[in-house]
Amino acid sequence: MSKVTKGLEIPRLLQAALVIGGIYLAFWAVFDLLLGQPIPRSLMGMYMFFVVAGVFMVFTATEQSTRELVGPIRALVEDPSRRALRNVVFAVVPGLAAVGVFLQMQPSDEAPLELRSIHPAPPSSVKIFGKRYDLMSLENPYRHLEKDDPEQFRELVGTGGEVYIRNCQYCHGDKLDGKGPYAQGLNPVPLNFQDIGTIAQLQESFLFWRIATGGPGLPKEATPWISSMPVWEKFLSEDEIWQVILYLYDYTGHRPRSWGHE
Amino acid sequence: MTAQIKKMFARTQSGVSWLQPWLMASWLLVLVTGPAIPVFAAGDAERGAEIYTVRCALCHGDEGDGMGPAAERLNPPPRDFTMAQYKIRTTGFEEIAPADADLVRMIHDGMPGTAMPGWGDLLSEQDIDDLVVFIKTLAGLEEEEPGKPIDYGNQVAISAESIEQGSQIFHDDDRCSECHGQGGKGDAVKKLKDDSGYRTWPRNLTKPWTFRGSNDPRDIYTRITTGIAGTQMPSFDDPASENRLSIEQRWHVANYVNSLAKTDKVVRPENTVIRAVRVEGRVPTAPDDPQWQQALPSTFLLVPQLIAEERFFTPTNDTITVRAVYNEEEIAFHLEWDDRTRSIPGDKAAEKIADPEISEDMVVIQLPMALPRGTEKPYFLHGDAAHPVNLWSWHSGTTDSAPRVSLRNARGLTDTIERDPVAVGLEGTGSYRDGTWQVVVGRSRVTADPTQDLQFIEGAFIPVAFSAWDGSNSEQGSAHTLTTWYWLLLKPPPGNQPWLYAGCTFVLILLLELWWARNARRRYRS
Ligand code: HEC
Ligand code: HEC
Ligand code: HEC
Repeated sequence: MSKVTKGLEIPRLLQAALVIGGIYLAFWAVFDLLLGQPIPRSLMGMYMFFVVAGVFMVFTATEQSTRELVGPIRALVEDPSRRALRNVVFAVVPGLAAVGVFLQMQPSDEAPLELRSIHPAPPSSVKIFGKRYDLMSLENPYRHLEKDDPEQFRELVGTGGEVYIRNCQYCHGDKLDGKGPYAQGLNPVPLNFQDIGTIAQLQESFLFWRIATGGPGLPKEATPWISSMPVWEKFLSEDEIWQVILYLYDYTGHRPRSWGHE
Repeated sequence: MTAQIKKMFARTQSGVSWLQPWLMASWLLVLVTGPAIPVFAAGDAERGAEIYTVRCALCHGDEGDGMGPAAERLNPPPRDFTMAQYKIRTTGFEEIAPADADLVRMIHDGMPGTAMPGWGDLLSEQDIDDLVVFIKTLAGLEEEEPGKPIDYGNQVAISAESIEQGSQIFHDDDRCSECHGQGGKGDAVKKLKDDSGYRTWPRNLTKPWTFRGSNDPRDIYTRITTGIAGTQMPSFDDPASENRLSIEQRWHVANYVNSLAKTDKVVRPENTVIRAVRVEGRVPTAPDDPQWQQALPSTFLLVPQLIAEERFFTPTNDTITVRAVYNEEEIAFHLEWDDRTRSIPGDKAAEKIADPEISEDMVVIQLPMALPRGTEKPYFLHGDAAHPVNLWSWHSGTTDSAPRVSLRNARGLTDTIERDPVAVGLEGTGSYRDGTWQVVVGRSRVTADPTQDLQFIEGAFIPVAFSAWDGSNSEQGSAHTLTTWYWLLLKPPPGNQPWLYAGCTFVLILLLELWWARNARRRYRS
């Protein structure tokens, strides 16, 4: 106890506060300043909750460190020589809490968060074009031509390109970067196929499923009700879908993920 | 040479490509080899042709004739390069060739308001130079000297006086307003076609983000001077034209056009919430009621209906601006959108401008039939079987029938039920002026049957979406523009609850503290 009241360990508490403050500032600097995309307040609250909990856990990992952390607080309350400071702290803390509650109770006009899974797990099999497809083993029937008949392969990529420009570029953009002429008016935004986080991570069977069944084909965790991705089963043939998939990979230079060697 | 360096300079100043290694390399090359590199060696037509085949042919066609597979779904269509017509050029209208820098600019930055994207992020400056050389060969311009730039004289700075003079020139004899309308919104009085017979619309000058060039006065001056090749936008420097303007006059008009930018119709993507304001008296029912000014406007992009059968590809309406006001009993929406044509079926003048078949203009407010629990909303296109929507429509009327509202419930695109709007007190009025519709639609906040109609509760985030039809643009049925779901919030006054809770918090924590301190003191004593 006496060790604690020497006041040498106050920095320990301060440290914790500084770490939390630092992380908050880092969030702000990266998302607000650098990316220009502020994190919504409610989400920020959630993140900071975990940060505080994490820091608290680290700082109370051993009994010794726990004592060092809470020592100064206990000293403040228990040591009569610090009564003046204690009274101030005792007035300020509930005051701040009250202000916090007051602000929290103000009606917010920030839009509710809509978290969605961008790449949900596909079903194992789906019914498309009146047929059942086993997504676990489905492959692009034209992929093998890339090696076996490059000339015919180029031709199919070409037809895929025509399908794309007639149907997809309005949203996904003719550079396949998700910035089509109408992309800004849609939420969620059309995906960017140049990005390494989309088709480069996916199998061709996944794309087949997504393209054929569109937004409404998504499971609930991916909020099918707001996705503007059309149900291409209604407009394209099975062949055309496989060809447009060839085009997506060819234009971006990505390779589809394959079964087997992974 | 100097032209090339200047070009690079302009680009680096805009800060796009300092990082591109090729630029550094070409700078070094310039420094090392000095003025030995001739300007016309900048691009390589063969390399250009290769890039063209991969990046451009799908729209502009294998032969460069603009007949790519998507041509009939794009308005304006991809340019036919064999015609040697370039909209954005700084060389005089009688010159045969544009400046290379003009083509570089359009390829690098793209053409806003069209499918033509900017390629600056995907192609290097060398690629673009190669493309320019190749594109010129498509029009047989490869031997052509670059044309003479137009005369800019002394630029007249923007001032209230200059704008006033420009306004007079704009409206005198309907010089510009003949096509661009009294307010500059391009509200049509004539049917315009481009040289290839495609329908064109005069630019809405209050929306500068749709300009193919920009709305910088220098750019506007250039467009007025050269005209826009291949379209009916004339040159005002043509000695043969009785409408010719002097250099100074053209600067005044340019300054006036620049001043038309309507900033409250700019789309701010982060703004997804329409904040309805609460008023004490009656909610306004007339579109021009000054009370609407109390409500913050939210502007949303209108996207053509590309999702369900029959799809629609060539819209004219591009944004819709929404305000909302409510009181204890009622709520009303104020919808405002620029539409170049007032479409009145049966009216001779309106039918002459319209693309057949003319139908009424229309706007729809879509609301969930019941406030969603959790995050699950109705499908944004007319709802779905489990999550139906209310559709409030306002129709602009024909020569035989007055404007009216209608009410439907929908469970998907094909499953809609017509209802009686009078039964729920749904009312609407509209007015059209100078290329803009203003429509007010509203009803009481609660209705007799809460299972059939959305009840507007204060403080709840209510999904809301909009659709619009331009009846002179063959928009009927599923051919229309729409928005995704946005939010409507009837923001209640905070009342005294926050005070109450804050007070309780204060007292509670204080009591805890005192209790702690008392225990601590006791422990300290012992
Ligand atoms: C009306 C706009 C629109 C059109 C047209 C459109 N898409 Fe999409 N697409 C979207 C949106 C929005 C998403 C993202 C939301 C989602 O995943 O459903 C998406 C997602 C996708 C995905 C999922 C990618 C991933 O990483 O999971 C694929 C693949 C795709 N689109 C392919 C296509 C193809 C191919 C076409 C043309 C045949 C097309 N899209 C046309 C709007 C569109
Ligand atoms: C998605 C279709 C599309 C693609 C792909 C495309 N363009 Fe265009 N381009 C257009 C359209 C549409 C226009 C006409 C715009 C207008 O008339 O307002 C146009 C116009 C042009 C013009 C005329 C500029 C002027 O001042 O009038 C040039 C030059 C041009 N494109 C070059 C290219 C090049 C080079 C590429 C490939 C790197 C390319 N385009 C790819 C659609 C496209
Ligand atoms: C005969 C009809 C007509 C007249 C008269 C006319 N314009 Fe236009 N204007 C057009 C059309 C059509 C377009 C759109 C061309 C296109 O499709 O790209 C246009 C486009 C424009 C643009 C857009 C440039 C850009 O970068 O996109 C400006 C600015 C403009 N006009 C200004 C004027 C001014 C100022 C006058 C009067 C001095 C005028 N116009 C007179 C028909 C006209």
